[in-house]
Amino acid sequence: MSEDRVRSALRQVPLPDETGAAERAWRTVDAAFEARERILWKRRRRGPLVALVAAGAIVLAALTPPGMAVVDRFRDAVGREPSQPALVKLPAPGRLLVVSPEGPWVVHEDGSKRLLGDYEDASWSSRGLFVVATRGRQLVALDSESGEPRWSLSRTEPVRDARWSGGGLDTRIAYRAGDTLHIVAGDGSPDAVVADDVAPIAPAWKADSHMLAYADAAGRVHVVDADTRRQLWRTQTVKGVRELAFSGNRLAVSTSTRVIVFRRGNPTPFLHLPRGHVLLDTAILNFGGVLYADYDPQNDATALFRSDCTIAGACLLMPDTRMFEGPGRISNLVTSPDREWITAGWPAADQFLFFESAPRRLGKVDAVSNVTAEFSPGGDAGGVFPEITGWAPPSP
Amino acid sequence: MRAAQAGSASELEALFRHHWAGAYRAAYLVVHDAAAAEDIAQEAFLSAIRAFDTFDRRRPFGPWLHRIVVNRAIDWARARALRREVGGEQLAETPARPEPLPDDLNTETMSALAALSPDHRAVVVLRYVLDYSPGEIANLLELPRGTVNSRLRRGLDALQERVTRETS
Repeated sequence: MSEDRVRSALRQVPLPDETGAAERAWRTVDAAFEARERILWKRRRRGPLVALVAAGAIVLAALTPPGMAVVDRFRDAVGREPSQPALVKLPAPGRLLVVSPEGPWVVHEDGSKRLLGDYEDASWSSRGLFVVATRGRQLVALDSESGEPRWSLSRTEPVRDARWSGGGLDTRIAYRAGDTLHIVAGDGSPDAVVADDVAPIAPAWKADSHMLAYADAAGRVHVVDADTRRQLWRTQTVKGVRELAFSGNRLAVSTSTRVIVFRRGNPTPFLHLPRGHVLLDTAILNFGGVLYADYDPQNDATALFRSDCTIAGACLLMPDTRMFEGPGRISNLVTSPDREWITAGWPAADQFLFFESAPRRLGKVDAVSNVTAEFSPGGDAGGVFPEITGWAPPSP
Repeated sequence: MRAAQAGSASELEALFRHHWAGAYRAAYLVVHDAAAAEDIAQEAFLSAIRAFDTFDRRRPFGPWLHRIVVNRAIDWARARALRREVGGEQLAETPARPEPLPDDLNTETMSALAALSPDHRAVVVLRYVLDYSPGEIANLLELPRGTVNSRLRRGLDALQERVTRETS
């Protein structure tokens, strides 16, 4: 018996729908290639600034910030560093978009921040070159570095949940105006209505594609081709849809208690919380793993769990890794561009948390305190806790 | 590769056509799930595109792609093995796309592979499907050379036993 025979046997195993798989993958790859934005890397002289900021951080870290005592209980278990009293740097390359009552802020890797203006909500463009913001009945596209408006449009109904897709010249923004779902090209025109009577949740784009998912008021989730408005598939009714997110070809639909994964309309249960618990938020990690926030109202505490099972390999009812826990609600889970880090908002401790998404082990956890005051300078104590709405790649 | 990096769609398609079959087959033989294999191979190409602008042109594309495919396939297969998959919960399941009925040799080959761990399957696939040497596999998977050799030996023994039984 030779190795050649084994080689031959392995190469003769028939592959299911080999041609169809190749064509589907090629269409996706081709679309992604067309949509990509080429990144021009620039080296910047930031040494003196970094040194100054680092020195300041060391001095300030000697102080005891509010909320730190609460967090320290968990430090040994999860390898968390002492919390920082201010957001002096991000743990991974990129820029955060944080929305406070002052408006949306862009936070750079070195901790420097820019307020983009008086807007209520904001989200990144796919490559982070722009920010799409909303204010009342107005949708505005802003330059992410200068905050300068590029274009705007107004609707008769309040505008919410704008989400950007694509790159280069081939971009689209989906948004809700009242209960109507619109798509507008990245340059502000043309604008088209995709659906009426939609649910008040954000639509979701499949990465680097023209596929858009949204929920209607009855709880059915629809996936449409944004160019033709043609429905590709839809789900049956899912009670209490709160969040939609694509991972590869699969769509994760979250409710207040569970996550269901759909592939071309076929459902697979992925996660179901214990009775009485509330699913506050989810984030998809490297290769489809999931971090989720499990809130226990009886104890008024949130535990963050990581399921290393991927969206592509549906699973349920097995113990997941407890990453962190703390009093109150911890949510607002956002992944870094490389999906190596996840950030979370913890209002009870007035902290942002940063988790390292290390596979098969508990990763490092960094905490930053005093974030309410940091994003509302001059505001009253007891202000509104800011919301992290996205983490984009570094500035080109 | 250089032409594709420079933005040539036709060269990208040539690159894709050249590498797709191997990537899809490798993923399928490790995970034994057509839909997952398709996703894994597709995601590997998408990762490659995202990293195009920073890719070192002196490096060959194939090993880079295959490393992504095989590592993701191992992760998927491990997760699948560790977790219990459950059914409907009041949700109607639509039957999956029918898959070709394998002949006896293919059945034996797949069941012999299935009896191995994902890590062993990956080494076998890299060696006998993608034609990497044990040293190259050690580099790709960041394993000691001896570990690669022992996994190959075990995998080969298992496959030989089944395949010989079927073809004799």
